[in-house]
Amino acid sequence: MDWDPDTQAMLKVAAGDKQAFAWLFDQHHASVARFAFRFVGDRARAEELTQDIFVKLYRHARSYKPTAKFKTFLFRVATNHCLNEMRRGEYRVARLTAEAPAEDDAGAVEMPGPDGERPDQALSGRELEAAVGAALGDLSDRERAAFTMCRFEGMAYRDIAEALEASEAAVKSLIHRATLAVARRIEALQAGAVPARSRA
Amino acid sequence: MSCAFEEDLTAYVDGELPPPHRARVEAHLGTCAACQGTERLLRVTVARMAELPAFTPSPSARRELLARVDALPPTWRERLAHLLKPGVLVPSAGLATAAVLALLVAGRARVEAPGLEEWDAGALEVAANLELVEDYEVLGLDSSDDLEVVENLHELGVQ
Repeated sequence: MDWDPDTQAMLKVAAGDKQAFAWLFDQHHASVARFAFRFVGDRARAEELTQDIFVKLYRHARSYKPTAKFKTFLFRVATNHCLNEMRRGEYRVARLTAEAPAEDDAGAVEMPGPDGERPDQALSGRELEAAVGAALGDLSDRERAAFTMCRFEGMAYRDIAEALEASEAAVKSLIHRATLAVARRIEALQAGAVPARSRA
Repeated sequence: MSCAFEEDLTAYVDGELPPPHRARVEAHLGTCAACQGTERLLRVTVARMAELPAFTPSPSARRELLARVDALPPTWRERLAHLLKPGVLVPSAGLATAAVLALLVAGRARVEAPGLEEWDAGALEVAANLELVEDYEVLGLDSSDDLEVVENLHELGVQ
């Protein structure tokens, strides 16, 4: 059968090929790191989690069945690992600590506002980052996972459902609640109702 | 109270609704000001996610990961494959045989020693199990595969 390059590489990893593993890492490292960062809200921890996820991928390569897209399989491993870490409670505080805008925000990129928005309402990149981080910290773990896969990895609802081992209807609901929560947070911040980070 | 169509709006914005469902939401949007506002807000929010600063992983991550993988202990399968190599298997069988004989003598059991051809397979299995028992505590069982290997030990063709 003709497998896609990711699947071919993973099958080689299952047979002990470390070069194939390094190739897969190069292809997907950034995605997994982004996911972990959005999940825990902490860069250093996201790096550690990413390493753990790839080690787990290597150790369990033999369990891989090429029936689903490799990326879906990878994100299932990543989600389960992140969820397990969060359930331990050790990183609960870190995930709520979105990066606050720096005092000296001169270097921040001004975000383009939507049509009709006054320029003084536009948030800086750091303010937006902080607002999104804080909103994600208030979501449930599954909402955050679904939102992250959808918004930052562009995964289809069907693939997210497979990664989360949930129904598509459930994923639709998770993504809606998460997106609306983030939207409301940004909206409130623009209106000056809440600071970017309301929970320290 | 929110509109019954509200929960469909994000999927609508994401292009994830099937055509008939999408048409119903579109028709509703033409008549519901609240949903129009929510849809606009969702579209702006989705577009803004692309503007967030990129997360750039550490450049040393690859080297660190490969070092960790190299340092991993061998898996059950790798250990069994090594164990079943003739160069390892034969001496292990000899050791196991000696161990079994020593136990028999020490226990003063009134059992006649079986012929080699009769208990060779059992001795080899003892050897394999000795190795597994030794590693069990060190490695731990962290996957269903590992358990499967142990459960299927009798079917591995150790003869």
